[in-house]
Parts: sequence; C-alpha cells; structure tokens
Amino acid sequence: MHELSIAESLMRQIEQLAARHHATRVDGVEVETGVMRLVEHEALRSAFEVVSEGTIAQGARLAITDVPALARCRACGAEYAPGDRFDFACPSCRKADVDIVRGDDIILATVEMDVPVDEQVEGRDYA
Amino acid sequence: MTKVRVAESVLKANDAVAHDNRRRMDAAGVVCVNMMSAPGSGKTTLLQKTIPMLAPLRCGVLVGDLQTTRDADRLSEATSQVMQINTGRGCHLSAKQVAEGLATLDLASIDLLFIENVGNMVCPVGFDLGEHGRVALLSVPEGADKVAKYPTLYQCADAVLLSKSDLVEHLEFDLDMVRSDLDHVTTTAPLILCSAKTGAGLDEWAAWARQFVKSVRAGT
Repeated sequence: MHELSIAESLMRQIEQLAARHHATRVDGVEVETGVMRLVEHEALRSAFEVVSEGTIAQGARLAITDVPALARCRACGAEYAPGDRFDFACPSCRKADVDIVRGDDIILATVEMDVPVDEQVEGRDYA
Repeated sequence: MTKVRVAESVLKANDAVAHDNRRRMDAAGVVCVNMMSAPGSGKTTLLQKTIPMLAPLRCGVLVGDLQTTRDADRLSEATSQVMQINTGRGCHLSAKQVAEGLATLDLASIDLLFIENVGNMVCPVGFDLGEHGRVALLSVPEGADKVAKYPTLYQCADAVLLSKSDLVEHLEFDLDMVRSDLDHVTTTAPLILCSAKTGAGLDEWAAWARQFVKSVRAGT
C-alpha cells in the first residue's frame, strides 16, 4: 500500500499549486503512473479520497493513466517495451541489462481548479 | 474553471531527500546498500553473521519495521552503529526516515551502511533512499517462483541472494527456475546462494560487499 505515501505526496503538490494560484477549489487531477511503480489505481483512488478529505481537493476527480515501460539495452542500445510480466531480456542480444527510459515515474500532469478571474496570472500556461 | 499543466514528478520530494542522503554519506565516505525482501527471508540473521566477517570494514545498520526494536536489539551485538526506524503504518522506508536515521549514527565510524528495509516485495522498490546499491533476497522456503512474481524487486537489484540455501535439497527447490527467471529480469546481478545457518556462501556474499564498497569509492 505504497499508494498512501504517493497520495500524501500528491496532495502536498496540489495544495502548493492551489495556493500559488489562489484557487478556491480543486475539481480534477490527472496523474500518469509508470507501470514500473506498480501503482494500483483503486488503491491510489481510495488513498487520495482519505488524504484529500477536508482539503481544497475534497471530492476532486482523479484520472489515472498508466504509462507503459520502455527499456534501453545497456549492452547493444536497442530500445524496446518489456514483454509480459516485465521480461527485460533484449530482443536483439538477449541480455537483461537495461536503463528504464519510460514508465518509471509518477507524474502529476494537470490540475483543474477554480481560480478567481482577477487572480489569473497573465502568460501562465493554462490548458 | 482553470486547468493547469504541471508535469512534475510526484516522487520528487522523496528523491530530493534521497539525493541529500547520498551526498551526506559520500562526504563521510559511507557506502550504503539497501536490502529488500519479504519479511522472514533472513535479512537480520544474515547481517548478524556477516558484519563480523566484513572487518576491518566497519558496518552500520538502519533497520525498518512497523513495530518493535527487536531487529536492532539483535544487531546491536554485531555493531554499535545501529538504529531502528519504526514506520508505524508505513510499508516501506522513505528517504526522510533514512535522513532522520542517519542523524542518529556516527557516520565517521561507518564504512558500509546497510539499510534493512521493511519486509515487503513491492512497496520499497519505488522509493530511493539515497543508497548506492540494492540487494534483493529470496529465501528458499518462499518458493522458486518469486522472481517471476515480483520482477521489479529483482530488476533493480545489484545482487540477488538466495538465503536459507541449506534448505534447497529438503524442499525440492527448483533452482533452475530462479536462474532462468532472473535471466529475463537482470543478467547483471549475481545470484549468490548463502546460508546463515551453515555458513555456506557467506564468503562469497562478503566478497561481493567488499568489492561493492571498493567500486563505489572508486566511482565506477
């Protein structure tokens, strides 16, 4: 249940962001979870519900998208998606000696929030 | 309603503290190994047996468990530099807990610091603690199928220890399955068979640890 510490970390990021934007409410959060981090979506959702209770993000929608893994072989440089059950053997040279180039992080992608118009910062990257 | 692009790692707070831990240990000449496995795989007994063998390397241990100081009590006979971290409800150690643990140790009198993570094959994997290397254990009674079942634990390991190896013959343990599963997960981590009970393989494990300290200090 490492999803609880992930949710706590996520909640801190959201609160800092909301404060910076003088948001009055957080309505939605999009998170991208690399499959190497073994994040169980339902566990993260429940953990987020618990840690967001009584905060600006209480009741916010949480969208979770998995990011597949991409490995780069240190022996021959080939890039490939690992096979079923994280089979990291390189299709070219059969060695399993890789750098994980994608799918190894958890990213807070976007936050949807209510920001009073007079607080909106010009030039800010609103989606 | 306003949608703001963030694109920031949720793990960056932990990773930043881990980075500080690593710098702090580097400055003190401490090499750190994060030991990960299921509970009951024999991490503590292995360390009790190998710390004296590693002399003149001076070892320390930070040991994580939800409750009790039992592991630290056992290890305190092997080294004075041992600190128990109780995680309460936490299923893995965090970089912050390790930072707090480091503050209680005399880093100047430690060459090799073992972090005995909370017994768990999933949760500790994603949390950098500031270690230089990782060792994953699999004990024979757990069964030979665990490398394929928990691949991410073994994929990130610098060495894999098959502990309680004296039980291989008694439990019809399929060693070939472990070797072949490991070939699909990592071909760089050596598999070391060892038994803290009989002493078999402990020399090989200690030699790996000595060599690891040397290679980290040489910056390779």
